[in-house]
Amino acid sequence: MDDTPHAHELFVFLAATAHDMKNSISVVSGTLERLLDDDAPGTALRDSTAYPQMAQMLYQTRRLNDNLMQLLALYKEVGTPAYPLDIALADVAQLGEQVAAGNRVLLAARAIDFEVAAAPGLCWHLDEDLVIGVVNHAINNATRYTRDRIRLSMGECEGMLEIRVEDNGDGFPPALLAAGAAAGRARAVDFRANSAGLGLYFATEVAKMHTHRGTAGTVRLENGGALGGGCFVLRLP
Amino acid sequence: MSAPAQPDLARIQEVAWADKNYLIVDDFVGIRQLLRESLRNLGARNIDQASSGGEAMNLLGRIRYDVVLCDYNLGEGKNGQQVLEEARQRNLLNPSSVWLMVSAEKSTESVMGAAEHQPDAYLIKPITEGVLLTRLNRVWHKKQLFRPIDQACAEKDYLRAARLCDDEIARGAEGEGANVHRIDLLRMKARLMEKSGQPLKAREAYDEVLAEREYQWARAGLAKIRMANGELEQARQLFQGVIAENRYYIDAYDQLALAYQQMGQLEEACSVLERAARLSPNSVPRQRHFGQVCLKLGNVGMAEKAFRKCIAIGEYSYVKTADAYLGLARVCGMKNEPKEALLLLGMVQREFPTDDVRLRAKITEGMVFHESGDYRRARKAGDELEEMLAVSPQRPDTTTCLEMATLLFSVGVKEAPVALLCYVIRNNHDSLLLQDEVQQIFDKARMGEEGVALIRASKKEAADLMNQGVLLWKTGKLDEAIAWMRHARTTLPSNLRILFNAAQILLSSMQQNGYNILLADEAIDVLMQVDRIHPGQQRFAQLMEQLALLAPETATHAADASAGAVDPA
Repeated sequence: MDDTPHAHELFVFLAATAHDMKNSISVVSGTLERLLDDDAPGTALRDSTAYPQMAQMLYQTRRLNDNLMQLLALYKEVGTPAYPLDIALADVAQLGEQVAAGNRVLLAARAIDFEVAAAPGLCWHLDEDLVIGVVNHAINNATRYTRDRIRLSMGECEGMLEIRVEDNGDGFPPALLAAGAAAGRARAVDFRANSAGLGLYFATEVAKMHTHRGTAGTVRLENGGALGGGCFVLRLP
Repeated sequence: MSAPAQPDLARIQEVAWADKNYLIVDDFVGIRQLLRESLRNLGARNIDQASSGGEAMNLLGRIRYDVVLCDYNLGEGKNGQQVLEEARQRNLLNPSSVWLMVSAEKSTESVMGAAEHQPDAYLIKPITEGVLLTRLNRVWHKKQLFRPIDQACAEKDYLRAARLCDDEIARGAEGEGANVHRIDLLRMKARLMEKSGQPLKAREAYDEVLAEREYQWARAGLAKIRMANGELEQARQLFQGVIAENRYYIDAYDQLALAYQQMGQLEEACSVLERAARLSPNSVPRQRHFGQVCLKLGNVGMAEKAFRKCIAIGEYSYVKTADAYLGLARVCGMKNEPKEALLLLGMVQREFPTDDVRLRAKITEGMVFHESGDYRRARKAGDELEEMLAVSPQRPDTTTCLEMATLLFSVGVKEAPVALLCYVIRNNHDSLLLQDEVQQIFDKARMGEEGVALIRASKKEAADLMNQGVLLWKTGKLDEAIAWMRHARTTLPSNLRILFNAAQILLSSMQQNGYNILLADEAIDVLMQVDRIHPGQQRFAQLMEQLALLAPETATHAADASAGAVDPA
């Protein structure tokens, strides 16, 4: 692994991501274990069809955990992986459709109204998988802050593609806004502090990968916007 | 749209996903069950599953699937890309079939640029039902749009295909079609123009893309055109620029190596290929290229590694090559292990049971013995080659002919190599480059002066054969001209000028006397022979287009097709 400061930063980021993932996995497997264990034979859950499915879920979670452990062990030898950037022309409305399709179940389960506003016919050169990844993360984050609405809007603004994820909650706490501002100025983000910072780091990396004639993409956080809550703003050249 | 499911539902009815045949390929039962559930929720009834590449091939061989969801990593055996390649090459997929490649992470294959058989889309896990449906719909609509273009390509009517690209781009710009495919259409058009021997038009298309956005494939396309035009240094710089921008764009490495080779810088070519092979080792053509360059450099160790890797990949891949075995046999000869070489030559003939490979194995055998100093066995191989040539009038490609002639001279055979070299000249009577090469072989065999005379006589023979046909055609004796050109083609089956003129005369006959299916088929056979031995000819594209216009269904356009010229020698 090369010793440039950026590579080191990336390594710390990956280690932090892995840590965050392990936390999530622990929570999931812990919850499943509790549910499965509490239910004595003869009770409703034990006899329902959900029981074996939950058992399968627990098994998969364990696998995930083992694989992650292996990945981390291997990572140190393989070194810094570079992401194969794959820019192509994408229909912005279709991108919105894809994001909506990916989050429908989750948002409906939490009774959150999701709205997509995309400039019709607008096409942009971008890595769709990466951008969808960033937007999904922002939506996930917004589900924590919103009251009951999230809005994804995409359109052209000052020659850039502007993608906004907005909610109607109380807005981002000051610490997070500060982290967003730091990311916007390409300063080091303290993503060890919380998982939202983690997502912000990833989003900033993705934005930076998108360049056109000397201009790179940017990320910023603000409060207000169309729904009066927190806004995540990704701009791509 | 607060109810995002709405437009999808409309499209489900439009595209009847429920009635289609599905195949899920994944080595992991959990994922197969998950995908099957998702498909069932779309209404799908016919869903097959395979847990390995081999199992998938069996199913693909028996059933025509409309949709294949295939994981890239399938554990032991073939990977998803190899399954796709084999399915396409064995024609087990309909043109309308949708292939979605599934993987846990973004694969480098998707951005390498050269993979001939790309899936319709890459999907990254986890795949939700909604994502699956939106991607299926998108791919489906794109396939609909490209269908007439693909059809024209399949008929090798590249100029019509290029015009259809233009039409579609214009429709998109006017807001009637989908503008999102503009870049893909321009890329397609550029490739078609390259295939039609019109590099200037290809360049225009690439430039149009680059004016909008820096795409590595467009930059590499420009570099390839430069290279074909002999501007090697410029091409080299462009390829290096592409690699500097995106080190995963592997096609640029392969091309950069070719540029170095043409500049005579084999060491550089070798080191570029070494880097490419490290980044993406599982490509048969790349390992073959690498091995052959190493062989030329005399780097026996690296050549051996490359050829062995090439054979190993071929074990699970439909894309395999006899070259790897032949190259490895040469390596064994250089290491003074002729027994091992003979084993490989036996193996290659079992793996590839064709006359061509039998002949090339025999040539390699002669070279191996010659290089290891066993002149008696080398001579015996030479005699056997001579017998093989006497039995069959068929001759291999030019490179093999020259290799064979060189070997035969070196083991002391005289007549057969002379005949071979004259054959090569007659079939390429206007290629000065080849004449030099042939003269050098004559010189090395201490037949310099005889060589000059033989080359001159062979050239004249070919020119006379062609001019007679042109004369008959010009004096209006069309039937006689056609008959003469048939004779000329049998004598010189790979002479480009003769083949082109033969096709042109068949075409003019139909332009005068009306469409005739027998003559049209004959013309197509002739042009396909051209395309096999020398793809990318402008005249090929023009004649294919004229031929298509003559066909009855487009008979109204026949008047547009102006009679081309038959060129004399």
